[in-house]
Amino acid sequence: MIDPTAAADDESKSRSSGARANARRRRREPGGMRRGSRAPTGLWGTLLDLAGAFEPMAFRRLGEEIDTCIDRIPAELNEYGYDRYGFDSETFRRAALPVALLYRRYFRVETYDIDRVPPGRVMLVCNHAGQLPFDGMMLAMAMLLEAKPPRIARPMAEYWVSRLPWISTLAARMGSLVGTRENCIQMLEAGECVMVFPEGVRGMNKLYSRRYQLQRFGLGFLRLALSTQTPIVPVSLIGSEEQQPGLLNLEAIGRLLGAPALPVTPTFPWLGPLGLLPLPVKYRIYFGEPLRFEGDASDEDAVIQRQVDVVRQSIEGMFERGLRERAGVFR
Amino acid sequence: MEKVLITGVAGGLGRLVARLLHGHYEVTGVDSTRWRHSLPGVSTHTVDLRKRKFEDVVRTERPTAVIHLGFIRHFRGDASLRHDVNVGGTRSLIDHCVKYGVERLVVLSSGYVYGAFPENPYLLDEESPLSASRSYPEIRDLVEVDSLASATIWRHPELITSVLRPVNALGPTIDSMVRGYLGLSRVPTVLGFDPMMAFIHEADLATAISLALAQRLRGVYNVVGPGEVPVHTAITQTGGTAWPIPDPIAGWLFERLFRWSLLPYPAGLLDFLKFPVCLAGERFEKATGFRCQYGLAEIFESVRR
Repeated sequence: MIDPTAAADDESKSRSSGARANARRRRREPGGMRRGSRAPTGLWGTLLDLAGAFEPMAFRRLGEEIDTCIDRIPAELNEYGYDRYGFDSETFRRAALPVALLYRRYFRVETYDIDRVPPGRVMLVCNHAGQLPFDGMMLAMAMLLEAKPPRIARPMAEYWVSRLPWISTLAARMGSLVGTRENCIQMLEAGECVMVFPEGVRGMNKLYSRRYQLQRFGLGFLRLALSTQTPIVPVSLIGSEEQQPGLLNLEAIGRLLGAPALPVTPTFPWLGPLGLLPLPVKYRIYFGEPLRFEGDASDEDAVIQRQVDVVRQSIEGMFERGLRERAGVFR
Repeated sequence: MEKVLITGVAGGLGRLVARLLHGHYEVTGVDSTRWRHSLPGVSTHTVDLRKRKFEDVVRTERPTAVIHLGFIRHFRGDASLRHDVNVGGTRSLIDHCVKYGVERLVVLSSGYVYGAFPENPYLLDEESPLSASRSYPEIRDLVEVDSLASATIWRHPELITSVLRPVNALGPTIDSMVRGYLGLSRVPTVLGFDPMMAFIHEADLATAISLALAQRLRGVYNVVGPGEVPVHTAITQTGGTAWPIPDPIAGWLFERLFRWSLLPYPAGLLDFLKFPVCLAGERFEKATGFRCQYGLAEIFESVRR
């Protein structure tokens, strides 16, 4: 049977990928648009060429897969390959490869029911754990590699990120915005997919003994969903809760150092920076049925809390399923 | 034919708007410097907006509409003179408009009035606070001009006033601040920062001004062009070479160079090279049906060195 929507989809894909290839060419070719070549020459160029020759076939295939996915993201990019929020397909492409390697080879991520994510504006609300935000990276990578069509899952960055050189630029190129209420509303109204971690630091730095126990949820995300009529897709990440087992949280010392927490794990801080490496746990990402809430966004906390609890229960339900289905932490 | 008075007519944008309106309106120009190649049929007066002679011009010419473009937008001269010309000129212009029964007024404000702050919403709409004066004393006059003009909207309802806040205008004719910046032999930027910057072609801006006039627009409107690119892309696309300076040094350096009149940009503008300032332009597009004709590549090509 012929599916007309699929054909239309294909057509739009090829059109947008053509435009994006043009943008890529425009920025690479100095000829018409840019003065001075950016292709490295001399010794550095030779080394790069050599490195390219030794690049394993699997890497190259993964790179190509990322390329096709990025080309199919339904985003409005201008003639230089940027969207209006500063997302840049070219930088994203380069940063995505190492993350995709983690995704496929290290955490061996499996996704379930990713097709439940509706097109258009949507909030992915998920559990947060594991000391370092690999969970967010893996979820974003799942939305890029497995979702049809691929999407940019937008993280909302902390305030201070925008004041840091390089990091602020990189964050913007990855599609992130400063996490203010207005920005989140603007993103959702523009039909974007936003990642939300209502547990915040509370979840990220919780102890191993509390794994798969959701910490207190903030209420702000639900108010935003109500005021913008955004469907919420609850997401459960299985695996991230064991990637870096927190034994202790020396919060007071961490605050002195200007960090929100100072977790102690079996490897950190004993092994130094090496201790930041997560365990090669197996990641499973479960997507729940989209939840659509109705009501007044400025209602009192108790009312909002009831709706937040619905989201929590959905995530907890998928925890049960995920833990039941898996054979072990690493398999 | 209706009579339109354009202030700052000898400037780049003034000339463009005069040419655009010529034939549809009876155009009168005012500027503090003489317009050498004035259009046939356009009478121009060389007066200072703050002086009594300007009132005579308004009284004798009796325009039904005024387009206010007569501002000092560069930082090459005396800062207090810039403030006085911009704010004082706008104040006396509004007074004369009210006194001599002008029906419509279009004031060109600036997208810079919102300031560049990381805590600003990414897309600034017309209701966003005018925070520029909070930390950039050098462009406080922009905010004051904007406030004066916006207050006129409700203070004098008989004078239909529209305030336009455009993004960075670029083009071969106009001498905007961003044009001068991109035209520097080495364009200073802040190391590690590359915020999105919005642009509009000068011809599109002139069209927007004429639309605001023709459609009797009342209110405050952002005017947005085809889109945004990172600062470094704008620099390379216009044929320039970026010169990234580490943040703490940049502030110190800019302040000194500005004080010694070696660089016509105050240190406060550095924030505009660190944090994005992007405007939401839907209100103007909805009200007037404005669509810009020039794309980003054409804009940069038009000022390529």
